[in-house]
Amino acid sequence: MKYKFIDDLTSDVMFEAFGKDLKEVFTNAAEAMFSVICQMEKVSQEKTIEVSVEAESAEELMINWLQELIGLVDIESMFFSKFEITEIDENHIKAKIYGEEMVPEKGETVVKAVTYYKYNFEKTADGYVARVSLDI
Amino acid sequence: MVLGGNNVPVDQDINCGINLIRTNLSTEEVRKRQKELVSELFNKIPVGVGGKGKLKLSGEQLDEVLVKGVDWAIDNGYVTKDDKAATEEGGRMEGADPSKVSDLAKKRGAPQLGTLGAGNHFLEIQNVTDVIDNDTAGKWGIKEPGQSMIMLHCGSRGLGHQVASDYLKIQEQAVKKHNIWIPDKQLACAPAQSQEGQDFFSAMKAAVNYSFTNRAVMTKWIREVFEKVFGRTWEDMDMKTVYAIAHNIVKLEEFDIDGKKRKLYVHRKGATRSYPDKPVIIAGTMGTSSYLLRGTETALSKTFGSSAHGAGRAMSRHAAIKKFWGDKVKQELAGKGIESKSPHPKSLAEEAPLAYKDVEAVVDSVHGADVSKKVCRMEPVGVIKG
Repeated sequence: MKYKFIDDLTSDVMFEAFGKDLKEVFTNAAEAMFSVICQMEKVSQEKTIEVSVEAESAEELMINWLQELIGLVDIESMFFSKFEITEIDENHIKAKIYGEEMVPEKGETVVKAVTYYKYNFEKTADGYVARVSLDI
Repeated sequence: MVLGGNNVPVDQDINCGINLIRTNLSTEEVRKRQKELVSELFNKIPVGVGGKGKLKLSGEQLDEVLVKGVDWAIDNGYVTKDDKAATEEGGRMEGADPSKVSDLAKKRGAPQLGTLGAGNHFLEIQNVTDVIDNDTAGKWGIKEPGQSMIMLHCGSRGLGHQVASDYLKIQEQAVKKHNIWIPDKQLACAPAQSQEGQDFFSAMKAAVNYSFTNRAVMTKWIREVFEKVFGRTWEDMDMKTVYAIAHNIVKLEEFDIDGKKRKLYVHRKGATRSYPDKPVIIAGTMGTSSYLLRGTETALSKTFGSSAHGAGRAMSRHAAIKKFWGDKVKQELAGKGIESKSPHPKSLAEEAPLAYKDVEAVVDSVHGADVSKKVCRMEPVGVIKG
């Protein structure tokens, strides 16, 4: 399983993303978030943007990564449907993200922010799990 | 005293709020042009995630919006001094400092002025079903049941969201620096008089001004649509702002505490201002009623001049989408005589009336507690959902 949604606060969207390594859990978390923002299956991959994010820990890196992607939706006026991580360790991530110019018909809802509410990022026997709440 | 920037104290959507505009049109007249009106409004106002703004502000213009708020909208011909007079804080919080707003927040906000957004944000044409307090309603230009009103609910868009996110990070550090215990990281905050606290307050005010301006810009476009559809001027249709009020905001206000006057930072999150005889607006969800109320003395002494702001969700968006089907929600609204339009059916499903608490019960409780008193009740006739 890449990710699953959890019913918690009625005003937020909470999901858990899984991955056998950092690369996978960061990719899956981005996919979980964009499944809330847009109808990803309808979003082509005609335009590419390079993203580079840093943080002091993997835990913080996840928040910064998702927050960076939320900002790019507004700034680039794009929806994204593919996330290709080219470099990753606990302190930095480099990725190519693919998508197209946004149109309301392919939108879902505005994700205002990643919140710290019940946020959790942990290493498990199988890899990593990130629990993230989105303010919508 | 601490200032909090985020989810619990202020919310990510700084100055998410409501503008209520009256008309002298009867709902009967509106119903005859209902489809056309909703369709024209939907075309004129950018809605939904992906709804692109029509204004492309330069950095200088955006800074001016952040400082001047509704005064910028007046200078640029969007609204009038009467609209400003009917806006909380006159649509301009003094002390807003654009230099405390990050470049990223500005980049997100510049193309979005004059956009509705998505989620629970909406534009509704409403019918006054009951006038409960005739005197007050009369003073605010509402004469009788059957009168048509317009309600606009939205916020500070990406700019406000980014300000909140930026300061969450800053306050997370401030919590450690000032040794403040919090039960959840999302409650990060800073002492009011600290640099972090004051920087947040100045940036928040800028986002507040952006949001007041955002709704002012859309007010002009709403008036233009009515002018086009009905072939009359907006002045002739008496389309004045009854009131424009903020929902998520921090304000420094004076209260009597144990016989002494004290200035307090009042955080209104999921709440709205209730000052004696000033308008209070409580929104339902599409398909249910909304209320115009008046503030009370009781609110000043019991709730720091605050009232509830809306129905609140009973069900998460995720659960609502699983339970309701957008096209069916649209049909059910149509069955009640409500014309609705959204970029895609799911946004109707997530905001389905049953996903929210009963607004009548919410309003009865604030009315019963004398925190704000009912003036009139309205029901939607047309709904535009982002």
